[in-house]
Amino acid sequence: MGRKKLLALLLSTAVVCGSLAGCGAKGTQKQEGSVAGSTESKAGESSKTDSAEAGKKVTIAVWNEPSKDEALNMYLQAGKATGIDVEVTVIPESDYSSKLNQMVSTGNDSVDIYVIWENDIANFAQVGGIIPLDDYLAKSTIKTDEFIDAVAKLSEGLGGTYGLPWCAATELLYYNQDMFDAAGIAYPTNDWSYADYKAAAEKLTKKAADGTTEVYGSTLPNTQTWWAGIGGAGDQVFDPAKGQMVIGDGAVSFVSDVAQMVKNGTMPEPSSDTADLFAAGKAAMSWQGSWNIGTYGGGLAFNWDIASIPTDKLKYNTLHTGFYSINAKSKNQDSAFKVIEYLMGEEGQAINSKASGNPSAIKSIAEKGAWKVESVTTIENWDAITDSLKAGVFGYTCLPSGVTNNAISEFNSAVLGQKTPEDAVKNASQYAKETIGY
Amino acid sequence: MKNEKRKPINKKKLTNHLTAYAFCAPWFIGFICFTLFPIVFMFAVSLTNRKLNGISNFVGFANYVNMVQSPTFWNSIKVTLFFTVVMMVVTTIWAVILAMLLNYKQKLNGIFQFCYFLPSVIPTVALAYTFRTIFGKEAGLLNAIISQLTAKNVMVNWLYDKRTIYLAVFFITLFTYNTGQMMLIFRSGLNDVPRELYEACDIDGASPFRKFFGITLPMISPIVLFNAVMGCISALNGSFALLYPLTGESGDPNGMTQVLSLLIYKEAFSNMKVGYACALSVVLFLIACGFGIGIFAVSKKLVYYEN
Repeated sequence: MGRKKLLALLLSTAVVCGSLAGCGAKGTQKQEGSVAGSTESKAGESSKTDSAEAGKKVTIAVWNEPSKDEALNMYLQAGKATGIDVEVTVIPESDYSSKLNQMVSTGNDSVDIYVIWENDIANFAQVGGIIPLDDYLAKSTIKTDEFIDAVAKLSEGLGGTYGLPWCAATELLYYNQDMFDAAGIAYPTNDWSYADYKAAAEKLTKKAADGTTEVYGSTLPNTQTWWAGIGGAGDQVFDPAKGQMVIGDGAVSFVSDVAQMVKNGTMPEPSSDTADLFAAGKAAMSWQGSWNIGTYGGGLAFNWDIASIPTDKLKYNTLHTGFYSINAKSKNQDSAFKVIEYLMGEEGQAINSKASGNPSAIKSIAEKGAWKVESVTTIENWDAITDSLKAGVFGYTCLPSGVTNNAISEFNSAVLGQKTPEDAVKNASQYAKETIGY
Repeated sequence: MKNEKRKPINKKKLTNHLTAYAFCAPWFIGFICFTLFPIVFMFAVSLTNRKLNGISNFVGFANYVNMVQSPTFWNSIKVTLFFTVVMMVVTTIWAVILAMLLNYKQKLNGIFQFCYFLPSVIPTVALAYTFRTIFGKEAGLLNAIISQLTAKNVMVNWLYDKRTIYLAVFFITLFTYNTGQMMLIFRSGLNDVPRELYEACDIDGASPFRKFFGITLPMISPIVLFNAVMGCISALNGSFALLYPLTGESGDPNGMTQVLSLLIYKEAFSNMKVGYACALSVVLFLIACGFGIGIFAVSKKLVYYEN
């Protein structure tokens, strides 16, 4: 009996201790790999000691893996330049925003620098999850007065500068030059109209004898470029004053157009296929983000170039960025700013542009053209990027992803003929109203 | 005087009781911390407008009012009930069929069992991504095979066509862990059915169908009940891992696969509406309870217990 009692006592104690350990002291350990699904890489084994923060460690949360090329790994270079160990925590893009929100709500201090998306920065500032950077910026060399206008506008109303844009990505028309040459069609230009685009897509489509499409004139808009089409068709997309999604006649018009192009076989249907039809040489044109320039590099089996997204009723382009911001719970805020200062400086921004193909959001740095990816030899129309930046606004990226994903699901249903474009747009708007302002 | 009459405390009995409670304590503590507390906390949060970033205010039953006014919610309820019932029926029937096939005495039975069970040990998410590729329209393996067999260019949009989506999804459920587990349980149950009952049937000249419905099914009915309950709970809670990679958080096409667990995820982690997601979770909890109670109620009439 004594042994039984002892065993029971030991078991009970173990369970109680285990439970308490699981529930307690969340911030006291260094969170190596604490974020589910994350991987970490260590950067900055520098021996430079020119900074008061040298030797300290700063952790930065990002959604994309740093470049494997050391010269293009800006975090590694930041570590070397500042003498601060920079640890990179990569959180998968699909979970990125929700993980950061959870970290902020629980007061997690395992990450010092968050790269925050457009739709989160106001919320994080509101709950005190990130700190205003104004005091740091007053003594810094970062050229905040040279940010592109859209960035400056997005920071208005926050009561301070809470984040600094790591780049300014845009959306572009990618096209297969070989297919244009074979069809005898002139290459797209930055002032191409939407009608030009549709006419070319039709001519470039190749069909088999049984009527099925072998090569599409264009790919279907992706989760990002649906909004470029809707904005170009005249809708505001995002109202910054109300924080609401604003779609209507423009969306109906664009969804109807896409549905017609799918019906004609000019565009593929929405499907579960994950293959990139443009890269596979199965589509002559594609609307995609500027970051794909770096992804494609010199790896495509055909000649290709870029142009601005064709203009329908107006020239519209969605800007994409992330904001370097400092965790309010970070114990290394000074070191964190040192790292941000490097990343926002000329060298850090140039490395980022070279690695990703995205221009800097600082005009004077962007003008130097580091974003012209060296490995891409076929692009001649680099002006497409500066042209797109001029038309760029922060649009759908300021909305919750559930709202925009739901809208795209509705648009896809309309394209497949499962509902009318009018009903799809109405449903998407209704869901956005239910969700935003919760 | 009364005190003198009181029975002396039976020290041994008390010690026995305490020992028993001590042995039960780990489970109780686990149940309270990891089951009861989350359920109570979920209900409490459902009465707030808590967002994922921590902002929270008491809003009473506003989440529930918004929920019943939302067409998305009602569509999700409809899909959840349909999905749960059909998945439970399809997987249970398939598991019985497999178990009966394996129950025939034949060579290489072990290898067949291994082959049938193998897909079940693949994580559901990996299984779903694999089938997503197989069911692709332009580059899907299934369309390629059918095209080869028919010498026609077959381009069925399996996961986006409203005529084929349920066919594709329920086909995939046959390969999930839940179905494999059910098969093994049914197989052990079939082994326990007395052989003499079948022998008596053979003497009377009963057909295989008569034997199945007259002997096999009644004898394994307690196992059918157990598997039905497990299948039902698995369909309600586990369908997320299958459907999220296959049809996305919006339950494409046209919300036809947006079960409640997908909607909960979408509201909590894409729209950051934790309070609202908790209100949806309370509904899912009640539906699971309803299914459990319903199955047990029906089972009183249908399940045969020997003792």
